Amino acid sequence: MATTAGTPVAAPPAEAPPGGPRRRARISWAAYLALLPLLVVLALFQYYPALNGIVRSFWDWNPGQVSTFVGLDNYAKMMDDAIWWRSFRNLGYIFVFGVVSWVIPLVAAELLITLRSQRAQFVYRTLLIVPMAFPGVVTALVWSFMYHPNNGVINRALTAIGLESWTQNWVGDPSYALWSLLFIGFPFIAGLPFLIFYSTLQNIPREIFEAAALDGVGRIRRFWTIDLPLMARQVRLLFFLAVIGTLQYGFMAYIVTSGGPDNSTMVPVLRMINVAFQGQDWGYAATLSTTLFVFTLVLSAVVVFVRRSDPASTNVRGLR
Amino acid sequence: MSRQWGIKTALSVLVFVSLFPYLFMLTTSLKDNLQFAENYWVPTLPFHWENYSAAWEQIRPYMVASVVVAAAAIVLIIAFSLVAGFVLARYSFPGRTFFFVMIAALMMVPSISSLIPLFVMMRDFELLNTYPVLIIPHVAGGVVIGTILMKTFIEGIPQELFDAARVDGAGGVRLFLSIMTPLSLPVIGTVALITINGVWNDFFWPLLTITENELRTVSVGLLFFQGQSGTEYGPMFAGYLLASVPLLVLFTFLSKYFLAGVQGGLPGSH
Repeated sequence: MATTAGTPVAAPPAEAPPGGPRRRARISWAAYLALLPLLVVLALFQYYPALNGIVRSFWDWNPGQVSTFVGLDNYAKMMDDAIWWRSFRNLGYIFVFGVVSWVIPLVAAELLITLRSQRAQFVYRTLLIVPMAFPGVVTALVWSFMYHPNNGVINRALTAIGLESWTQNWVGDPSYALWSLLFIGFPFIAGLPFLIFYSTLQNIPREIFEAAALDGVGRIRRFWTIDLPLMARQVRLLFFLAVIGTLQYGFMAYIVTSGGPDNSTMVPVLRMINVAFQGQDWGYAATLSTTLFVFTLVLSAVVVFVRRSDPASTNVRGLR
Repeated sequence: MSRQWGIKTALSVLVFVSLFPYLFMLTTSLKDNLQFAENYWVPTLPFHWENYSAAWEQIRPYMVASVVVAAAAIVLIIAFSLVAGFVLARYSFPGRTFFFVMIAALMMVPSISSLIPLFVMMRDFELLNTYPVLIIPHVAGGVVIGTILMKTFIEGIPQELFDAARVDGAGGVRLFLSIMTPLSLPVIGTVALITINGVWNDFFWPLLTITENELRTVSVGLLFFQGQSGTEYGPMFAGYLLASVPLLVLFTFLSKYFLAGVQGGLPGSH
């Protein structure tokens, strides 16, 4: 990407007239003029709010009324905010569980590339990722029905097989609510990890597998010595993306548990929204938002850096 | 040659478990409450198709609002980002790299982090409960990925095409309209898909900025829809499925672009 050197631009080759500089200046102005609408939109609705949020995090911000500069008071408040830090602990669980759950998409991808028939591979792959096509809200609502205490699928199934004593108020009980959130989307195949695992495995040249098979390398051993090392870059990338994605986690928790019961499923995004819209404490909400922003920015920068240093990261054939 | 039945069975089990909640939703959407109570697990006759018309009556305003928002956002995003991508890819002028970096850097700014300040700004502008408040954030976010995709794509168009047109006397505007825009249709389609996906999945912004039922988008409308229909599971699930239809259709017919869209929205992927 970036600079495609060797694509000479602007100056039309046909007429390289005297007075070239003047023509060049004219083109510059046209270019700036053409970019202007985009730059105005970005300045007004991207840069200004982002910077304003950072500035306001140092204020007792009362939009429309008198705001006072309070320095680091909001940040001091954040350090003592037990709910805020608890929400990060929950994020930690969500992240670790998310990463561990990649085992299932990984196994699914391995099973899939083992199929000899291309047609069967396509059919199974498509069926496995269909849940991605449903709006996230629909998935959240369907799963909150699955957990419904009386009519939900899970409790009904437990009752049907005689395990009535195992039924729970899944999302209403603080000791199960977070687990219930984590299991939404089980078996977790429809998602980016599966797509990346599958396309990576598909791109491994068949000859490598054949050579391994000739040397008597079994399926399990091949996984550890060939498949996994060739996927290391992708796994590393997924790992960072998962960190960033987890920081934005929020709407599932809002729909299914609203962060409750007793804050047992509180996450930072929900905490920020509650502080702003229920507490009307805009300055403090800006502080929480800025903190989340900084975390995300640092991690995104790491991702970009990793990808840049790694031009072959999406194409294993490039390794040869 | 073995038919690999073991692997196929394992994959079929995974498919079934993945799709079970959605299949259950589908069968239940055709039941009335009596059938739901008596035959919880299996589909039973008669099918109550009227659940779908009842659900449609309720979610229609949400669908209309989502379509309006998505259409307006797509038009604006493509207009802005096609022009910017063209200029950034085909003209050299002082500050070109600077501008591109300023745009691309926004890929790293998560939309959730400007939620609070943007909300206050919109409230000051008295835009809450209007279409612009729904459209603007999608445009402001979409032009970033749009410009990057367009620039990358346009750089790949052979320079000879532009040179030939120049020799024939075409100016910048003509080049843009007659050569570049038609050639860019694939990337325009990708940007449109990313935008539709974004509108259908956006949740907190419409939840917080819209209180008028007529303006609610699908993602938020479904929450209130659940409240209205109480314990009528049939129409409720019918509504969820109807709300999913646009994305399911796009997924079915354009799955390649759909997946490109899923992966294209990632930081550092360009």
